[in-house]
Amino acid sequence: MSEIDTADRPASATPPDILDSIVQGEGYKYGFVTDIEAEEAPPGLNEDTVRFISAKKGEPAWLLDWRLKAFRRWQAMEAPDWAKLDIAPIDYQAASYYSAPKAAKDGPKSLDEVDPELLKTYEKLGIPLGERAALAGVAVDAVFDSVSVATTFKDKLADLGIIFCSFGEAVREHAELVRRYLGSVVPQGDNFFAALNSAVFSDGSFVYVPPGVRCPMELSTYFRINAAKTGQFERTLLIADKGAYVSYLEGCTAPQRDENQLHAAVVELVALEDAEIKYATVQNWYPGDENGKGGIYNFVTKRGACRGARSKISWAQVETGSAITWKYPSCLLEGDGSVGAFYSVAITNNRQQADTGTKMIHIGRDTSSTVISKGISAGRGQNTYRGQIKVLSAAEGARNYTQCDSLLIGKRCGAHTVPYIDVRHPGAKVEHEATTSKISEDQMFYCQQRGLTAEDALSLIVNGFCKEVLNELPMEFAVEAQKLLAVSLEGSVG
Amino acid sequence: MLMTDDSAPFRAAFDRLRATADEPVWLTTHRGRAMDRFALMGFPTRRQEAWRFTDLEPLTAAPPLPAAAGDGDLPTPASLAPWLLPVATHRLVLVNGRFAPALSAGPVLPAGVWLASVAETLRQRPDLLDGAFRGRAGGGAEGGEEAFATLNAALFTDGVVLVLEPGTVLETPVEIIHHITSAAAHARLHIVLGAGARATVVETATGGGAGWANTVGVVTLDAGAVLTHLHIQAEDRAACHTAVMRAVLADRARYEACALITGGRLSRRDVAVTLAGDAAEFRLHCAYLLDGGQEATLSVRADHLGLGCRTEEVVKGVLAGASHGVFLGTVAVAPGADGTDARQLNRNLLLSPQARVDTKPELQILADDVKCSHGATVGSLDEASLFYLQARGIDPETARRMLVEAFAVDAIDAAGLSEPLADLARRHLRRWLDGGAS
Amino acid sequence: MSKLLEIRGLRARIPGGREVLKGIDLDVGAGEVHAIMGPNGAGKSTLSSVLAGKPGYEVTAGTVLYRGRDLLAMPADERAREGVFLAFQYPVEIPGVNNMYFLRAALNAGRRQRGQAELDAQQFLKAVRERLKLLDIGDDLLRRAVNVGFSGGEKKRNEIFQMAMLEPALAILDETDSGLDIDALRAVSDGVNRLRDPARAIVMITHYQRLLDYIVPDRVHVLADGRIVASGDKTFATELERTGYAHLGDAA
Repeated sequence: MSEIDTADRPASATPPDILDSIVQGEGYKYGFVTDIEAEEAPPGLNEDTVRFISAKKGEPAWLLDWRLKAFRRWQAMEAPDWAKLDIAPIDYQAASYYSAPKAAKDGPKSLDEVDPELLKTYEKLGIPLGERAALAGVAVDAVFDSVSVATTFKDKLADLGIIFCSFGEAVREHAELVRRYLGSVVPQGDNFFAALNSAVFSDGSFVYVPPGVRCPMELSTYFRINAAKTGQFERTLLIADKGAYVSYLEGCTAPQRDENQLHAAVVELVALEDAEIKYATVQNWYPGDENGKGGIYNFVTKRGACRGARSKISWAQVETGSAITWKYPSCLLEGDGSVGAFYSVAITNNRQQADTGTKMIHIGRDTSSTVISKGISAGRGQNTYRGQIKVLSAAEGARNYTQCDSLLIGKRCGAHTVPYIDVRHPGAKVEHEATTSKISEDQMFYCQQRGLTAEDALSLIVNGFCKEVLNELPMEFAVEAQKLLAVSLEGSVG
Repeated sequence: MLMTDDSAPFRAAFDRLRATADEPVWLTTHRGRAMDRFALMGFPTRRQEAWRFTDLEPLTAAPPLPAAAGDGDLPTPASLAPWLLPVATHRLVLVNGRFAPALSAGPVLPAGVWLASVAETLRQRPDLLDGAFRGRAGGGAEGGEEAFATLNAALFTDGVVLVLEPGTVLETPVEIIHHITSAAAHARLHIVLGAGARATVVETATGGGAGWANTVGVVTLDAGAVLTHLHIQAEDRAACHTAVMRAVLADRARYEACALITGGRLSRRDVAVTLAGDAAEFRLHCAYLLDGGQEATLSVRADHLGLGCRTEEVVKGVLAGASHGVFLGTVAVAPGADGTDARQLNRNLLLSPQARVDTKPELQILADDVKCSHGATVGSLDEASLFYLQARGIDPETARRMLVEAFAVDAIDAAGLSEPLADLARRHLRRWLDGGAS
Repeated sequence: MSKLLEIRGLRARIPGGREVLKGIDLDVGAGEVHAIMGPNGAGKSTLSSVLAGKPGYEVTAGTVLYRGRDLLAMPADERAREGVFLAFQYPVEIPGVNNMYFLRAALNAGRRQRGQAELDAQQFLKAVRERLKLLDIGDDLLRRAVNVGFSGGEKKRNEIFQMAMLEPALAILDETDSGLDIDALRAVSDGVNRLRDPARAIVMITHYQRLLDYIVPDRVHVLADGRIVASGDKTFATELERTGYAHLGDAA
């Protein structure tokens, strides 16, 4: 029977009701606050703040100059307003731009030096540090508020010539590399938030994989905003030299607080000839409560440059958190035959808003890109895919395939698809497909007729909808992502 | 915003027009408000999202102004012949935006049908235009196109009014020729179909020189009414063409639009259709074929407000030379507009290294019981097909032409036009392929 | 011994409001196979939907007892876990969800409800292999997403395979024969026959007599205009083939 009219049938528990009841509720389990004495910069943002941060980190003059230049650019810029986002005005002078756990002012030298409270935090987050890291085979760089607290597996990686350390350490130990690549993909004045980050970034991760080296383990960073009234501005710089391979994972959580907190990160990837970078993110910043109070503003600039011929960069993201997400991980396909990919799942529930997508800029010959985006809107969530495919006039033989699907759960949410396709070469082939649908009542009933509860049925169908993206995540992340999808929609604390 | 100096020529034209016009005071007042509003807002700029791909420079650098009555040579019947339907029609020819009775003709109108120039309608049946000029001059146009609608409201010289009483079926097609010379032509088109009424309208834009056609069309379809609307835009390549079309559809109304865009150095067509009633349907089939330095923008917005409405858009682009084609498509589904079924497809062929295409098929969905999809492709001619044809002995030039024709003619065939209309459109398509049409 | 399924005076509306079931009475005992036949629009599929608990259908009168419990009070998923299985007339496609994964989730949901231990991957695989063999089905169906890209025949076989895995006490086969060619019909029927069991009742809903040539029922009922207007044993079907439904509808 197809003529199911549920609008005026309150008698039975119709799927929309079930869906509504499932998607309501608050299931954020990372909302704890760790009680650690922190050293913070006084609130406010001016050149002195930038100098304070730079001095705290003992940075060389060139980097301070770089920051100041960025700050001056930022002052002349305006926050972008083109996204389909409803953002309350942000008072950039009210936030604090530096917060570090006080116990280890200069950064812990080893796990033993890390504040036990902090380690407990990571345990709650399920991060494999120390021995657990060894078992899991994951090397972790954890960024807590603004400072990198521990990097595991450093020695083993060093044997292969792989550098994996905090950004601060990279500035001290590998200044030459940092100086060469910092800002080479995302220039200081690229956009409002990137400029802000360039001025006040406090720490982050740095990776360099030397020529011909295949990084034998997944590299991983966990970001956590802990302190109140702070923003987090980390910076990740990842360079895969000729023929190198690296897979990198990034996870994020934040405590549950009533006020909005700003996260404005910059990630730059550089892939040289024949190099391959896989970059996966599971973003689970605090999304705010069901009325939209609190939550992280996640305004992030991520971009990879396929500099060398036949290089590959792949972004995979699962975005379940944040009150507002503004994020477009992109690829500059400069090298001939280079390949870019973007796989994304974005969920908005309650009052969450996401405006996310990608840019694939085809510059070199025979470049190709794939974009698979899955947007899920529930509650009063607003979910926008915004993507640009640009084929420049020298990009002979460029290929793009884009598929973006939206799923709506409930009557008060919105799904929007805004693709920009700009082609200036006749030899290019660009294909874009998009669909919007709701979870069909027939699918729900079919699952329930086989004995699955409504919650399980919903989770199963949503995971099926996201399959093509989840397949692109490393195994341990895929499992976490599946659970997160379920939690984001069900409100069960898992 | 325009500096006062930039709107001054329009203001001067406005004053000239007002001095000679014989029209009701309320209309003059309305024009005055429109003129003031245009002076305030000016032409859209590329900073506006919906206008970022459209380069208005060819128009705004030295905008053509309306010709005085009687200026410009009338086209000869022979020169119009290639553009005419091969069957009996109610023909209205507008030259530089003014009705040319000498070139217009048609059988006696059946009962329940009003078809006349705007000027004639204002004289005889001003009641039919009640409300047509009420409210803001832009008439519901939003965004940058409001400037064009407003300027039209201030400066329009004439146009066509078609009103069908409920249940009336006008079998004979209405044929409107917009012929321009090197002047600006601000013409209007008002179509109101009562419940269950049906009509077919063919609009052809010809002539040109370095002129500018700036048309506003307002279509109102009451319950169950059906309008078939073929638009062929074929001015010279020095001309500019802008058009703002608005349609509001009541329950079960159907608006079937087909457009063939080949003319003008710069053209832009903004179509906004509001599916206000339940089970209304909007179908658009369009092909833009451009060459040289032509730039054409087709912007289509479908607002789904009612239950169970359908939108189907198939837009094909063929871009040769250094031309630039832009498709901006938006389907917006309002909260509660359940049962919406909307499909948008934009396919483009790039035939030269200098050609460029921008396409932005957008979905804005605020209801959950919907089926919406869109697709966009950009590519070149299929090498395998070319080879196949050549392997059968067809020379490359003919093979290429065959494939381009097949690509574009699909938009006409799928529109489901009656044979005389489809034939007119196909003839024009072939003229373009032969290089004989702009 | 009480019947497995007892339907008394069941009246129900389809989504949209029209009353389609106008007083159904039916008893089905364990181990029995019942065929419910009748013309299009008689209410056959509505009956299966109501029994399975499909949302939108409104029961306006009557009772349904399943193993002595009020079936209508249970949500659809609970009915399924209690052993009520519906083989869908139009099995639903669920993109991205692997058939095996789906089936294991369903199987273990039922086992949890019955207080049985969940099957681990190996035990599950073993059970799958046994059923595949029993039903003579290749394992390629299992690698694909639930019903996605299946032919009509494959979908129906997948339904019977799920039935074999879930081992229901009451299986309702809704037009399982529709759209099948003769080979597929034979394969599906063979599968159902192998699943006949003294502890299991099967209710077949069909428009065509030919299914009954392959799955021989214990009882045959004719449903017309929302009521069961005639019943008989398996010979009754042959009689119907000769006389048609029309006179029965009039008699009712």
